[in-house]
Amino acid sequence: MQQLISFTTDYTRYVLKGGTKFYAWMGSLALLIVGMMYVFYLQNTDGLIVTGMTSQISDGLYLANLVFLVGVAAGAVTIVFPAYVYHHEGMHKVAVLGEMLAITAVIMVMVFVFAHMGRPDRLWHMIPPRGIYSFSSMLGWDVMVLNGYLILNFVCGFYYLWCKYTGNPVNQKWFIPLVYVAIAWALSIHTVTAFLMANNPARPMWFHSMMPIRFIATAFAAGPALIILIFLVIRKNTRFWVDDSAIKLLTTIVQFCLGIAIFLTLSEVVVELYARTEHANGLYYLMFGLHGLTGLVPWFWSSLVLMVGAFVMFFMPSFRNDFDKLRIPCAMAFTGIWIEKGMGLIVPGYIPSPIGEVTEYHPSFVEWLMVLGIWAFGFFILTILLKGAIGILLGEIKHGGPAAAAK
Amino acid sequence: MLSVSALMGSAALMTMSDDAKASTEWAEHFQKNYRLMTDEEKAEARTRLERRYSSEYGKKVAVDTTGPQPGVLMGYALNVRKCIGCRRCVHACVEENNQSRGTRPGEKIEWIQVLRMERGEFSKDKMNHGYPEGLGIQVGGNAYTPAGQVLEGQYHYNPEAVPEKDATYMPIACMQCEKPPCVKVCPVRTTYREADGPVVIDYNWCIGCKMCMNACPYWARRFNLTKPVLPKEEMNPVTHYLGNRPRMRGVVEKCHWCLQRTRHDRYPACVEVCPVGARKFGNLLDPESEVSKILERKNVFRLKAELNTFPKFFYFYD
Amino acid sequence: MRKLAIVTLVLGLCGGAFYAVSAAEKAAEPAKEAAPKAPVECFESRKGASEITQRDIKPGWPNVKCSPKTGAALWYGDPYDGTVPMGKMPGLENIPEGHAVIKPRTEKLALMPMCGVSCHNGVGPAFNPPTLPKDKKPKPNPTMEAMVPDLANLQHGRGRIWCMDCHHTTKRNMLVDHFGDPVSFDQPQLLCGKCHGDKLRDWRDGIHGKRIGSFASTGKKRWFTCTECHNPHNVQDGARNRGFAQLQPEASPQLPRGMKDASHEKLHPIPH
Repeated sequence: MQQLISFTTDYTRYVLKGGTKFYAWMGSLALLIVGMMYVFYLQNTDGLIVTGMTSQISDGLYLANLVFLVGVAAGAVTIVFPAYVYHHEGMHKVAVLGEMLAITAVIMVMVFVFAHMGRPDRLWHMIPPRGIYSFSSMLGWDVMVLNGYLILNFVCGFYYLWCKYTGNPVNQKWFIPLVYVAIAWALSIHTVTAFLMANNPARPMWFHSMMPIRFIATAFAAGPALIILIFLVIRKNTRFWVDDSAIKLLTTIVQFCLGIAIFLTLSEVVVELYARTEHANGLYYLMFGLHGLTGLVPWFWSSLVLMVGAFVMFFMPSFRNDFDKLRIPCAMAFTGIWIEKGMGLIVPGYIPSPIGEVTEYHPSFVEWLMVLGIWAFGFFILTILLKGAIGILLGEIKHGGPAAAAK
Repeated sequence: MLSVSALMGSAALMTMSDDAKASTEWAEHFQKNYRLMTDEEKAEARTRLERRYSSEYGKKVAVDTTGPQPGVLMGYALNVRKCIGCRRCVHACVEENNQSRGTRPGEKIEWIQVLRMERGEFSKDKMNHGYPEGLGIQVGGNAYTPAGQVLEGQYHYNPEAVPEKDATYMPIACMQCEKPPCVKVCPVRTTYREADGPVVIDYNWCIGCKMCMNACPYWARRFNLTKPVLPKEEMNPVTHYLGNRPRMRGVVEKCHWCLQRTRHDRYPACVEVCPVGARKFGNLLDPESEVSKILERKNVFRLKAELNTFPKFFYFYD
Repeated sequence: MRKLAIVTLVLGLCGGAFYAVSAAEKAAEPAKEAAPKAPVECFESRKGASEITQRDIKPGWPNVKCSPKTGAALWYGDPYDGTVPMGKMPGLENIPEGHAVIKPRTEKLALMPMCGVSCHNGVGPAFNPPTLPKDKKPKPNPTMEAMVPDLANLQHGRGRIWCMDCHHTTKRNMLVDHFGDPVSFDQPQLLCGKCHGDKLRDWRDGIHGKRIGSFASTGKKRWFTCTECHNPHNVQDGARNRGFAQLQPEASPQLPRGMKDASHEKLHPIPH
């Protein structure tokens, strides 16, 4: 107990210390978070009418980001898996950072769940014993696996940090099995999210069995792409050194998964547009517009260009080996997949409506601010978690205070 | 998460100035799912609602809780040959069911959609304009026309007079499926099929996650983006708990076959105003009812039958 | 600082003025309501067949609600308002007494009171030649053509039927059945069913036409009779291809957020 209190205080004290750059970063994030809270207040007094959602397009940016971030959370497994299954040295060193990212992404997903709901004040209706849990609902399953993943990552991540902090050895007996469970669980969260969308025959855009694998492929491209970017920031701004081998392996994973994602996208295009049934209307709207309405066309093509461009760049040694230039294809892949899963997958599921009404989605300022705010919130948490974790890994936070650390 | 949502509930309530109203809403916030309530709890919820609605709308509002009647399974049939697309059903539904009728986009809710579908034409001069033109695979014999294609319908048609010679009309609302996909996806089981057929929603239990709106193949569900705009004088004071009682912000609503009427043996509002008698409603278990007679005598089809939702809403033609 | 004070002052004044104006408007409103409203009347199935005047049955509960746009009946507070028993109808014997009601058509037909008395009562003014035809053969009849415009070229039956196929020869305020016996204008189904037998059968079972009130097969219903929806003298006019006259549609749905118009609906995704 004594140790736990000192862990908390040491952790907090370390995280709160920082230079001007740190405070400026956290301050600007906090500003966006305040903006998010304000629009959340608007959404829960005036209602979702302040967003661009309608009865036709009943979900938009929020669900899109939710789905995307579940992917990012699952993507963290690309670190944990090589680290613990293949005992990759470089990865093993940073595995806990991946877990921190997973925690952050799941928390962001939950905030997005709150944001897209009409009545977040009634969320307890889902939770027994007062509420009702429905096993037939994919959303119910999604909430369950996400919470499970959050707990798993929290336990694994912080237990590891705790051991480092106290200097005790990690209890392999239950830690390693738990890590394996977490790895399998990572696949489950994104699969269930894919089922959440795909199990709707009413929406032909989503109703195909390729959805889960496409979700996993894009997640394992976007997640590690973000991780590479974060690692490069860490290498630049802290004394913590992420091994080249880790980044190299992640680059390979991003490239392979990105290739699979592009392949799957193009397969879908061919299958849907060859026969061009009315079930392809959503995809057709996305690619070329429907009834003269072309709101999503630029999104689709820009996403395709970004993804293919990034894929090609990953082939070039000049990008692959130069970690300064590596940022470009990583950012491109990340953005491309964000568009593909959001504006390119969620929104065209609603256009046309199941009975053929074509309307367009115009996200409002409130929605953009909310999205921005939640991302800021995510980075806020991530900064804290990573800073604390790095502090412990570097040995700057250690049981017994600075004296012990200095030893 | 429980505590967070409770906290937000209280925060939302704190913004209300009226104490009596706030306390009612507080009690409503913690009431159970309607299906799990005991009879006493139902009666309590009912009086609570009646008191709140009556003060809110300045007239005596009744909230009915009559359950399914034994021996009744409601069914609906619509004669697509007869429909003239006058949209009287759409507006009758709004008068009856207390939908929001504001002017801001999203504040006006209608449960019935009427599609105008082109009869189309196959003419000589269009022979080479068909699909797939330009690929060199097929030339001629292909005057593409959207005749009879539901997904090509118009919703906002507004001619001087209907029916138009070059159009047919197809009204669509909730099909009250026997195997409703919306019920399956609801994470809190607030929407469910009643024993006499209609799929209903406990508006007080709905969390507004909109999964049912994704699942419905008939686009029957509408979302209350804001607090419904319902003028006092236009409010229909005869309501049912699972039916047309005024809804709140952030919940989903849909057609329930006028439960407040049909539970008391009255035709739904849309059936009563259809000027051409295209809309038919009755008890599927009664062989003498008009829907039973239609199923016995006419050619009927279910919309999107391939989805195995088994609507209790049948289209027919003579 | 001073600037700020001025701005605040101006804003405050504006606010005050606005409040005063809105308060004045509020005060004016009840006065407006006190003025007697013009009676609202709406038509039921088709224009010119039957009208209802809106009135309150109980406070806040009207017998009918009318569409402000088209004047059509939109909602029934009392489905049996102004009805009378249907009378004997073959095939409907199972319906309990008084459970089948109709709106009397007789009252709605403007010429009805005169029909039986002034011209066609068999005595009337001494027309020469006598007004009562000897057979059912078509003959030009300027008096009647002036009253029923399409008579000159009656489309009903495409020239194969004539007045006396439906109207009673001597009792002109009655219709006629196959045996030459009179049929009330309130029971046109007995006449129309002579030819439209399949429709009569469907109507009797509730499939054709319209019934309102209780949906149970033995419950009390108001039945809409043939002529409430169809005008037998006018079966073909206008740009329509159905047995029902054209009418103005109710308002179209609201455009969803961000949509400026619905012109895109008229385009089709695969270009012609």
